Parts: sequence; structure tokens; C-alpha cells
Amino acid sequence: MSKLSFRARALDAAKPLPVYRNRDLPDLNDCVSINRAVPQMPTGMEKEEELEHHLQRAISAQQVFREKKENMVIPVPEAESNITYYDRLYKGELKVPKQLMHIQPLGLDNEQPDYDMDSEDETLLNRLNRKMEIKPLQFETMVDRLEKASTNQLVSLPEAKVLLNEDDYLLKSVYDYWVRKRKNCRGPSLIPLIKQEKRDGSTNNDAYVAFRRRTEKMQTRKNRKNDEASYEKMLKLRREFSRTVTILEMIKRREKAKRELLHLTLEVVEKRYQLSDFTGEVLSEVTVPLAEKPAYIAPVSLANGMRHKAEMKIKTHKASLPHAYQVSIKDELPFDFVRPKKKYTKLNPPRRPGRPPGHYTVNKADIEQYDFHSSGEEDFPAPLSPPSEPDEENDPDGVFAFRRTAGCQYLSPCAEQNQGLLREHPELAGLDALRHRHSLTALCVPRRCIGPARRRMGRGGRVILDRASDGADTVLRQLDPDVVTAPGATDSGSLPQRSPGPRCSPGSSLSEILDNIHALRWRCFRPRPSQDHSQASRTGSMPCRDTGSLMDPLCCAGGITEEQYHDHQQQLAQMQQQQLAQTSTPPAKRSLQPELNITQTTCSNDCTSKTLDSASAHFAASAVVSAPPQGHVNNENKPHKPSVNGILHPSGTSRPPHSTTTTPSTSTTSMGGSSSSTTTSHSSGPRGPGRSSSSTTSSSLQSLPNPRSHVSAVSPANSHHSARPSAPSPSALKLAATALGRVPKVPPASTGGTLPRENHEPERLNGISETTLATEVT
Amino acid sequence: MADSAASVDIVEGCRLPVLRKNQENEDEWPLAEILSVKDIPGRKLYYVHYIDFNKRLDEWVTPDRLDVKKLQFPKKEAKTPTKNGLPGSRPSSPEREVRKSLDLNLQSATAPSRGKTLPTPKRKAESVSLATQASPATPVPSLPDSAEATQASVYPAGRDTNAFNAKGRDDHEQLSSLTTNGTARRPIPSQPGRKRKANCGGNDEMVKVFQYNSPRCPSVFLPQGEDSQDSSDGIPTAPRMTGSLVSDRSHDDIVTRMKNIDCIELGRHRLKPWYFSPYPQELTALPILYLCEFCLKYLKSLKCLQRHLTKCNLRHPPGNEIYRKGTISFFEIDGRKNKTYSQNLCLLAKCFLDHKTLYYDTDPFLFYVMTEYDAKGFHIVGYFSKEKESTEDYNVACILTLPPYQRRGYGKLLIEFSYELSKVEGKTGTPEKPLSDLGLLSYRSYWSQTILEILMELKPDNGERPQITINEISELTSVKKEDVISTLQYLNLINYYKGQYILTLSEDIVEGHERAMHKRHLRIDPKCLHFTPKDWSKRGKW
Repeated sequence: MSKLSFRARALDAAKPLPVYRNRDLPDLNDCVSINRAVPQMPTGMEKEEELEHHLQRAISAQQVFREKKENMVIPVPEAESNITYYDRLYKGELKVPKQLMHIQPLGLDNEQPDYDMDSEDETLLNRLNRKMEIKPLQFETMVDRLEKASTNQLVSLPEAKVLLNEDDYLLKSVYDYWVRKRKNCRGPSLIPLIKQEKRDGSTNNDAYVAFRRRTEKMQTRKNRKNDEASYEKMLKLRREFSRTVTILEMIKRREKAKRELLHLTLEVVEKRYQLSDFTGEVLSEVTVPLAEKPAYIAPVSLANGMRHKAEMKIKTHKASLPHAYQVSIKDELPFDFVRPKKKYTKLNPPRRPGRPPGHYTVNKADIEQYDFHSSGEEDFPAPLSPPSEPDEENDPDGVFAFRRTAGCQYLSPCAEQNQGLLREHPELAGLDALRHRHSLTALCVPRRCIGPARRRMGRGGRVILDRASDGADTVLRQLDPDVVTAPGATDSGSLPQRSPGPRCSPGSSLSEILDNIHALRWRCFRPRPSQDHSQASRTGSMPCRDTGSLMDPLCCAGGITEEQYHDHQQQLAQMQQQQLAQTSTPPAKRSLQPELNITQTTCSNDCTSKTLDSASAHFAASAVVSAPPQGHVNNENKPHKPSVNGILHPSGTSRPPHSTTTTPSTSTTSMGGSSSSTTTSHSSGPRGPGRSSSSTTSSSLQSLPNPRSHVSAVSPANSHHSARPSAPSPSALKLAATALGRVPKVPPASTGGTLPRENHEPERLNGISETTLATEVT
Repeated sequence: MADSAASVDIVEGCRLPVLRKNQENEDEWPLAEILSVKDIPGRKLYYVHYIDFNKRLDEWVTPDRLDVKKLQFPKKEAKTPTKNGLPGSRPSSPEREVRKSLDLNLQSATAPSRGKTLPTPKRKAESVSLATQASPATPVPSLPDSAEATQASVYPAGRDTNAFNAKGRDDHEQLSSLTTNGTARRPIPSQPGRKRKANCGGNDEMVKVFQYNSPRCPSVFLPQGEDSQDSSDGIPTAPRMTGSLVSDRSHDDIVTRMKNIDCIELGRHRLKPWYFSPYPQELTALPILYLCEFCLKYLKSLKCLQRHLTKCNLRHPPGNEIYRKGTISFFEIDGRKNKTYSQNLCLLAKCFLDHKTLYYDTDPFLFYVMTEYDAKGFHIVGYFSKEKESTEDYNVACILTLPPYQRRGYGKLLIEFSYELSKVEGKTGTPEKPLSDLGLLSYRSYWSQTILEILMELKPDNGERPQITINEISELTSVKKEDVISTLQYLNLINYYKGQYILTLSEDIVEGHERAMHKRHLRIDPKCLHFTPKDWSKRGKW
């Protein structure tokens, strides 16, 4: 046998190998020595483990015996297969189809809760089941939702309410239980989950973190950077889509709620119809307890709630109200309340919080991100959204519902009025539309005329003059306020206005303007002279106004004596000097008291006084008085000489004329423009008019029972006033009375029933009030 | 024994003979290493690893099973270094003091090279501090080294009293510092390694990752961000993203070295896990973890399982059945489409697969679950996973027969099935490495039987010796060429005879094979396979 001078050739996988049996090759053993020419193949095991005792033993056993020996196998920890309760646990049997099983890709997720109840939960469930029925699945779904909505921070109770939509008691019990359990829970969640990686890499070596994403891998061939960018974009897109989904979800919910509201409203109407409750008595009986129940639930505070409010205010200013309501007031059907709703510009701000948090389906973050009001109904001309009520369960718009703000009045557009004006006085056609919205205004402190302006009530009762520039500005500047002032004009002396110089209108001459003013074609407001000899305060009214609409404030004068006004004004002046909000009320009170006395004709003392109080407060607040003295051109709702009530009211709400003009177009100088001057009106003090009214009432009667009733006392008056100048006070009284739960007894006399129409007032008012309340009920 | 155990302080890293019963139920005293100690009211328990035994046999033992007389204290260089048996000592605090002071120098000196070179013994000798740094990179328990021994004794014992204070600080410090490897393997007494997370894998891991990656898959893409991070501040790198197994122990720290689940109840079976599995941590304390037999959801109690079963209507793995013969079925599950099940399956499998990694998601894998049908449903017997696209001809990533079904031929059936799939695909394949001991045995056995089957059936044609090429064997069986060769070699069939290689079949091989084939009644019937391979490369990556 040669000493192997050759090297064994490498094993060629492609070369045929003859297969022999050992018995056929008796001389094989001689050749064994070269076998090492065949490359040694690795076993594929880890070196360290390859040496393990049991493996080596097993391998050698196999080498020797060519089969496994029982005692030579690698030992492993034992397993048992004798679970006795198996059959009880896995119930039911499975029939196998002949075909292979195929699973539908989407058939898997059957929306079952991931949470599984444990015996502790079962105890709770048994306890709860004594009081109500709750199924395990229901419970699991609840916990599941809670768990999944919670991150590091637990879901709060209000959130849970939204999330679960269950009976309150049940919800509370489960929620409390869940919170407790969650606190005691060892894991991060009651549903045990595999630890997730954190993207910051801090979990790279956490042994319990599994199934990390391999996005980095994204085998992108050349432009990896590019692809990563697009990946990021996709992520962003995804986020945005999910936001969209959220928004749509919320819209859906809102619309649903709206529909529900409608149904409920319908139901109410039908019921009332069946009861023949055409006068609204039943309704008011039913509503009064509701109204007085201060069922306020603390609202979920929204970070940007204020912003919303503000924006909404602006929006509503813009929203033009259809004048249809003016018609409807006459031919209104008793049970038609949808429209009447629109007749009321209600002040109901204190009720804003009366919204169950349950309706905040939105979380704060979402709200911060999106401004929804544009989708709300406040964009529609449909002017008056249903007032928010304390029990407004079905309010459809949730957070975004249009809500009236205290101190804001929302009025219908004056388009028609303007038309009417033009119709009657075609010669005025040339007058700037501006002038119909603005009044010529004079100030007393820099004693001059500032040109067209309108007055608004700002926050804290400040009076804001929105000035408009006008062609006649230059002329107006020369105007002596005293000259302008018509004989009957009163001077409140109250407006310490500092406003920049007015602008002139080249177009009009001074005399023309004066003419216009005197002819009452142009309203002119000026401070009241301290010595006013006209019969009481009078407000300049646009003579040409038909249906009196908002213009009205004028009709005052009537019952208030000069002395009273004088008195009043002096006090106001004092207050102004003090610039004190709180001190503002007492003087007002004093001044108002006489009025109260006057007005107490047949009305129940309380009611009237309240109404009057608020009204008078308003009146006091009205620093600017329209000047032109004379008669009221209106044939329909002639501003007669009403009783004090009538006067006070309009004057109190003398803002309406101004606010009617608040169509966006006019406000060149309005809203914080440099020319608009802001001052605190003495009479209203730092608070809104409504407030001050309530405080004034406290003199004669204690402050109103609750904000709600107080509001209703004021707001109907205002609204009505804006709608029908002819007889504001009765309606106000009536509404106030109803709101206060009193039977309204408004004698026509009290309203100075000089007008024939007045006689109808009570009924109409009934209609109004009932409808108002109807909306509240819903 | 118990008394002596109590008197001597047995800490992590100590080695001593520990009593265990062998398969013949005889007492043995194999040498074992203490990995962890825990105090249960009234007694102490020790988690021991039997040296040269598989980890799956590691267990908690009572002190009376320890042969304290032969206790060896850990060497500084040992895999799990500890103090030199000083009372109340904790392994690392003094050492850390030293390291801390040396860190600055070391950082500049060793950091750059660390990623590339494996620390050598020579370097260990360079300086004491370097030794502590580099040594744990060698996972093998190293022999006593005089240098380290002296080093260890240098540390004053008094420092150890600070152990617990030092601990928090240390963990903190280690996050920011480079020197994490010294403690990477070090067990912690009462709280097995929880706080070690930050430590696990220091530089040594990186070393090994690179080692591991470079020869075998040079193209492995390490995420750039992480990559640079690693080299600069010592945060260990993420493992490679292909494959399902780790051979490098890179993420093998004291947490993963110890079993964390006591018992799993799955259908009729109670399984004793063999290895760590990252089930939610709060569930690891339970005496029994309950799994739904069909969807494999993990539940903390029997009550929960009961509730779950009212909602879970699965009676088979949630995939398409692609094979059925008799009671045996195979279901194919896409790791991307059915993540929950895939993850649950992986968690379960991890209990029995040491090298399996669950580091990444299951998206790139398909799971083939073998079930046995009875009236209750399709019960999982075992499974294997497979990369949708393998760059290395792997046709199996992980493969497992659940313990109750082991040693009954199911493993071979799984393997056979995997090769049937490869046959349909027209590819050869091989299992992903490293193989486990049981994996090696099973595969070798399968390969042997498959190849022998072919060789035995070769008929002489035209009166000549039958012959066959290795490539032909590979094509017939879809077994990768290398595996064919290694099997032929293992069976000692290749011989060089008269200038050429021949295959020889000895008597005992033939007899053994016939006996084995006689016992092997479970076979895959290719006709029952309804499988159309998909070209995953055209479907986008995963």
C-alpha cells in the first residue's frame, strides 16, 4: 500500500459516487485513512453546547447502537398531559369539513373584548347583579375600553362616561372598581401585554421587550434617504387621516344628537297639542321646577373655552337674522315653537355650564387642534340656535353649540328696516347705509361730535363705541353737540369718551346733516345735558322705522320725571368718577326706586319690580341716548307714550339699535380699532347689564333666586324688545314672571296700553313665553 | 448540609456539586454554578446551572441539595464573577469603583477598537482594568487566571457594605459609561437581573455581533443611527434583522439565562418551560400561566381562560390548512397578517428554544403549525417558522415539537414537511443555525434516513454499480449539499477507494436504518400537500 503520495481530490458534488455494500469491498479498511480529505462539516451547533454532556452521550450512543436508546436520550423537563378538567374547559366539539380549512382574512376580528374577567371581577359582578343585571361580557367590554383608552394616565370619570355610555350607577361602580384594581395591578395594564419597545432605544436591551418593529430595515435600494422621507410622510398622512376620522366621528355624534333633539321636540309639541296646551300653561308648570333645579354639572373645562366663546360671539354678530320672525310673531301657531325660538334673542349665559360632561366626546387635544365652529350651525343665517338649557341633554353641538353670551344681544338684520326707511323716505336713498346703522354720536367730555358710531356693551359693562368713518366726518367734527341735540335730548353726561378726532365727509354739508338729524332721518346720540328739561329721557328714534323693530328705544320718556333723571345722572357721574364697579349698583338702585313705584300698577309687586329693575338698570346703563325727540312715525307699532315700563325697557336695552347694525361690513372702525373708544359705563359697572340689573333688584327684592331665572327675566325682555318695540315691557314682565314661576298677570294698563295692539300682547306673550320655555324643556 | 449551606455564604457564581436525579433516577452530583439566590420566608433557594448540561435543566434547588464542602468561589474571570466569598458581598461594586476611575482612559483607548476585535488573553494581561473590561467578552467560563485572582483579592472587603447603595448608582452610571460588560453576565442576588437590563450586552455583545455578522452575512444592514451610537457611546447594537436565532448570546444576560415561567397550561398539557420567554412580566410570577389551546393567548388564571374560551371560537390555528392526512394537518400562518397568533406562538416556542430571538416582529416569517385533530379541534403539536425570503437558503427558522409530543416522530414529520415545501419551491434548504442539541439530533436523524433511503433504493442499472452524485441527492431531497455531505460523513459512508470517492453501506448502518424506518410510521404524503409558493420578493419586502 503506497504511502499515499497523492492528495485526495476534493469531493466533487457533481461527480457520481458508486454505492457499495461493505461486504462487497473486503479491502475497504485499508483506505479509511484518507477519509479526512473530505472537508469536515460543522454541525451547526454552538461550540459550547455541542460539548454538553447529554448530547455527547446521545451522539455516541447513536454511533454505537445506530438507534436511540431510552436512557441515552437528552433529558428534558417533564410535561404532564393529564388536565382533568379539559373537557369541561373546552366545550363543544368540532366537525371537520372534508375540505381543508380556509380562514377568511377579515373573519378573525370579532370585536370581542380582550379583557378576560377573573374571579375577583366575578365577585364584583355578583354583587352588582343584586342591583342590576350586568353580563360578564358587558363588564369585560367596559374594562376593555377603559384599559385601551388609558395610557399611563387612567381615564377620568367623565371620559369614562363618554366611553362607556352606561347607566350611571353601573358606570360608577365599575369605574371605581377598575381604578382600584388598576392601581394594585402589577403590570402596566389589566390586559397583560407584551412590553412594547420605546422608540428612543432605551428598551433595546430589555429582555421583556419583544417583537420590535424593523422599520429601519426597509430595504430601500438606492435612495434610502428618500424612502425614509416618504415613509415619514406616510406616517404623517396616517396621523392626519386618523384625525379626520375622529372629526367625522364627532360630527356623526353631533348630528345624531341633533336628530334626537328634533324628535324630542316634536314629541313635546305633540303632547302639548294633545293636551291642548295652547297657552303654554302646562308647559310652564312642567318647566318651572326644571328650571329652578340647579342641575349643573361641573363642565369639563376646556383649555380654549374662552376662545370659543369669543369667536362664537363674533360669529353671531355676523349672522344675520332673518326678519321672518317679525311676521311670525303674529300668525304664530301656539304649538309652533320652532320659529318662535328664533324670535328670542335670549340671554342665557349662566346656563352654559349646564352641560353634562358626557357630551364632551372630544378630548382636549382634539379641540385644541381643530376649530369646529365653522361646521356648526352658527354659520348659517338661521339665527338663533336653541338656547342652552340646563337639561339640554340632547344638545347636538356639544361644546360647539351656539350659546348666547351675557351682555350680548343678537338681533335680526335690519335690511328690511332699511328698506322700509328708504321706501318712506326716498330722499334718503342717497344717505350712506352707514347712517342707518350708526348714529351720529356726540361725546360730552371732549365735547364734540364724533360722527357716526354705534354703541356696544363690552365686557365688564364697558361701553364701546364702534365708530364708522363717514364722508361727512369733517363736517361733523365741527358740529356742536349741543346744536345737534334736539330739544328733547337728554344728557347722561356719562360718557367719558376719549376718541380720536372724527373724520369728515366731504359730501355733506353741515346744515344738511343738521337737517337730517332734526328730521330724525339721522339718529343722533349725544350725552344728555345735565339740565334736561325735556320730558324725561327720550331716545331718538328713527321715525321711519316700520314695525318698530329694534329702533325703538326711544319710546321712553313717559313716566320718568326730570328730577329722577337728573338725580340719576348725578349719581352716575359720581360713579363714573369712582370708576367702581360695585359701587355702581346702589346709586342705580336709588335712582330706580321711584320708577318702580311708578310701575307698580296692577302687577304683582315682585314681578314688575324685577322686570323693571333689570330694565331700569339697563336704562341707566344706556349712556347714549338717541336724540331726536319727535314722534314716532310708525303706524303699526307706534312707540306710544308708554308707562315707565315701556320706557325703561327700551332704554335699558338701547343697545339693540346699535347691534342691529353690526353687520360685518360696517365695522371698519369697530372692534378694537384705534378709533373705538372703550369706557366703563358707570351704570352697569364692571358687570354685564344683566348682572347689574339683578343687583339692583336686590333693593326691592332680594337678588333673583338663581341665575337662570334672572336671565330669563332679562332676556325675554330684550329679545322681545328687539322684536317688538311697541310693547316690550309686558312681554318682558310676563316672561320674567313665568321664568320666576309666577303666574303672569300683566295688565295691559301697565304697558301703557294706548295702542290697540297692546291688548293682544298678553296672548302673544303667552305664546312667546310658552314657546320659549318649550325650547327650554327640550 | 442545610446547616452548612446556611453558615457559608453561597453567592452567585459559586460552583459546587448539586444533587440531581438522572434518567435512571439515580443520584448524581454534577458540578453546578449558582446563578441566583432568592430568599423565600424560611429558606433560601438557589438557581443552579449544571455545568456541561443544557440550560433547560437549570432549576431552583433547596440548600440541602448543595454540596457545600466542595464549594468553589467564583474566580474573577469567571462567567459570573463575584466577590471572593466575602460575607454580604456583591459582585461588582468595588470593581466598579476601579473601573469608574479608569473609564476615562479606557474609553479612548478601547472604544474604537472594541467593535472590531475580540479581546484576547494577551490583552487581559496588559492591565488589571483592561482585564475586567474585556474578559466577560469570552462567554466561556474561563479557567482560573492568576492575574485576575490577585486582582480580585485586592479589593477591600469593607467596600461591600455599600453594595446596595452602590447598586442604583452603578446602574445609572453604567448607562452613561462605556463599561457595561464587566457586569453583563453578573447575576444579582435577590432580584434576578431586573436592573441589569441596562447592562446586558455591553461591548462584548457588539464584538460578537460583528463577529457573527461579518463572516456569515456581510450584507447585514445595521441601522445607521444605532450603529454609530454603538461605536460612540457603548449602547449595544440591535441584533441583525434577518433570521430568528441568535448564536451570539449578545442579549443573553442574567435575565434571559434564567427561566421565568414555572409552568404553562396548554390544553390538556402542563409544560415546564425550558428557557426564558418574554411573556408580560407580571405574569411570570404566577405558578401557572394559562394559554388558550387554539389562539395561544396567555391568561393569568383559569377563570380568565374560562372567560376567554367563551369568546374565542378558534378551534384550529388561524391560518389556511395546507396539508391534511389522517389526523395530521398543517396550517400556514403569515406572521404579518396574523400578528397576534404569531407572537403568541413565538412566545410559547421561546420557552423551549434557547436561541430563538423575539427581538423583532414576526412580519418576515411564515409559520407552519402542525396539528393533530380530535373532536375538540386541531391541537397544536409543533411548528416551524420560515422566512418568506431567505438569503441563506434557510427553509426553517425555528422548529419545535411541543414537549408532550416529543420523541414520537413528530419532529421528523415537521422536518420532512419543511423539505416537502422546499421541493415544491424547487429549492434546497437548510435549517437556520445554530441548531440546538435536539435539533441537531433530529436533523441528523432525518438526513440520515432520507439519504439512506435513497441509497438503498438505488438499483444497479445495466449490471453496473449504482452511482449517484451529491447534487443528485440534494435535488431529490431538497437537503442542502453541505448537509448531505456532513450526513454522509457522519454516517461514515464516504470512502476513498482506488482513486475515487465511493459510498459504502455497512451492515449495521443498513440494519439500523431498516429498524428505524420500520418504526417511522408518520410520514408526509406529498399528495396531500396543497401549497403554492409565493414569490415574496415581488410582494414587497414583508
